[in-house]
Amino acid sequence: MINLSRTVTEGAPLVAEIERRSGQRVSACLQCGRCTSTCVAAHAFDFPPHRLMHMLQIGLVQEVLASRTAQLCLDCMTCSMRCPMKIDVAGVIETAKAVADEAGLRDTERDLRLFRREFLRNVRRHGRLHETSMLLRYNFATRKLTNDISLVPLILRKRKVHLFPPKVKNLRQMRRIFREINGDARPAPEPETGAGE
Amino acid sequence: MTTYSYFPGCSLSSSAIEYDTSFRLVAREFGIGIDELEDWNCCGASPAPHHWGGALGILLPARNLHIAGASHPSVVAPCAGCFNRLKYAQHELGRNPALRQLTERALHEPVRYDTEVINAVELLNREIAPEEMAARAQGRLEGISLGTYYGCVLVRPPEVVQYDDPNDPVEMEPLLKATGAEIPHFPFKTECCGSYMGLPKKEIVLKASQRVIESALESGIDALVTVCPLCHQNLDLRQGQINAAFGTDYHLPVLYLTQAIGLALGHSPEDLGIDAHAVDAGALISRIRGRRAAS
Repeated sequence: MINLSRTVTEGAPLVAEIERRSGQRVSACLQCGRCTSTCVAAHAFDFPPHRLMHMLQIGLVQEVLASRTAQLCLDCMTCSMRCPMKIDVAGVIETAKAVADEAGLRDTERDLRLFRREFLRNVRRHGRLHETSMLLRYNFATRKLTNDISLVPLILRKRKVHLFPPKVKNLRQMRRIFREINGDARPAPEPETGAGE
Repeated sequence: MTTYSYFPGCSLSSSAIEYDTSFRLVAREFGIGIDELEDWNCCGASPAPHHWGGALGILLPARNLHIAGASHPSVVAPCAGCFNRLKYAQHELGRNPALRQLTERALHEPVRYDTEVINAVELLNREIAPEEMAARAQGRLEGISLGTYYGCVLVRPPEVVQYDDPNDPVEMEPLLKATGAEIPHFPFKTECCGSYMGLPKKEIVLKASQRVIESALESGIDALVTVCPLCHQNLDLRQGQINAAFGTDYHLPVLYLTQAIGLALGHSPEDLGIDAHAVDAGALISRIRGRRAAS
């Protein structure tokens, strides 16, 4: 059995951190479930959005940070638009994801991590996304060589590909952008005032 | 003639090349000047903001804003995703000095970020009066039901994009109605298509997009109209995958807004790149032409 008073106390600092950065109050959630009923991806989550909010209320922060929900949220913001308490639920989930990233938590959605990695490497290399090489590298990285391969003849027939990657001329400036971010989990600096209004 | 900076973005130069083609064609038809942004870069799309807690998701679009700042007073980003990222960068740079500093260290100069950022719908509404559209279209799309599909990032989050109604957007309607088309009630017009999960988590996209298509058909819609290349990819390019996954037999054409307008002006599907879509729009085109022949 979960000792609720203990989890609330232990989780409190991280919940406060998520509340501060997202500018939202998880305690305002009434558990009406409207976020979950509007969510198009809830079927792929381990915890639906309203349960995630409840877990934050009772301090189960580590479970939230490690959840598939935090990684797979599409950030479509439908839940935030529909919440009767005007909580930016998607913002809370996004913040949890960022906190998990910064804490170096290993995400469980390997394919998603590899997709982001290959996408951003591609942009770093060319300045613009070269879809063809991104798809190939992603399929190699995930060892799912046939993923979307059925679309290839169609894409070729419709003349929708660049064989050679497009390139930004000022690649040095692009490299500096990636260097400033440091190539690792650097969060956006926060505004000194007006955060989370 | 007003001239706008034009930020095509990665999709409009490859997988959504037909959006670029039709956008330029419509701009030319109505005398709207567009001037492609010099040496633009990827806006970061979804992976940048999600991946590194925000900073890269601002710095990438910030470089484009900065370049636009040296050119025309407004920049148009026809891709809904690029539009959203440019607006985000503008919003964050405006309120966050530390982020501005970080950006300026990368750019090596003071960042310009106050160029007006507008999307394709906004541009067309501003430059084309419905009366002018009606006069040019001569009712070519009469009897055709178009589903105005806005998706997520064009209208959300409202405090950042500050465009239309985040739950019930309507801005695509005046010009499309002026072509003679009908715009039926379409409850799924802002439902998410599954976003960028097509490669890493396909089942999310197929299910989300299947629901959008099903809702469109229930609303009696003949073709969806969008300004988002990612929505287009999920709804059009993946429609065959949806049919295979759900045992459905959908053939719902998905048009870019500028393609629908191009058809209304009498341009051929080939000129507008409609033949580059996965779903064959032949039946729809025949109906449009048949109506012309009959009248």
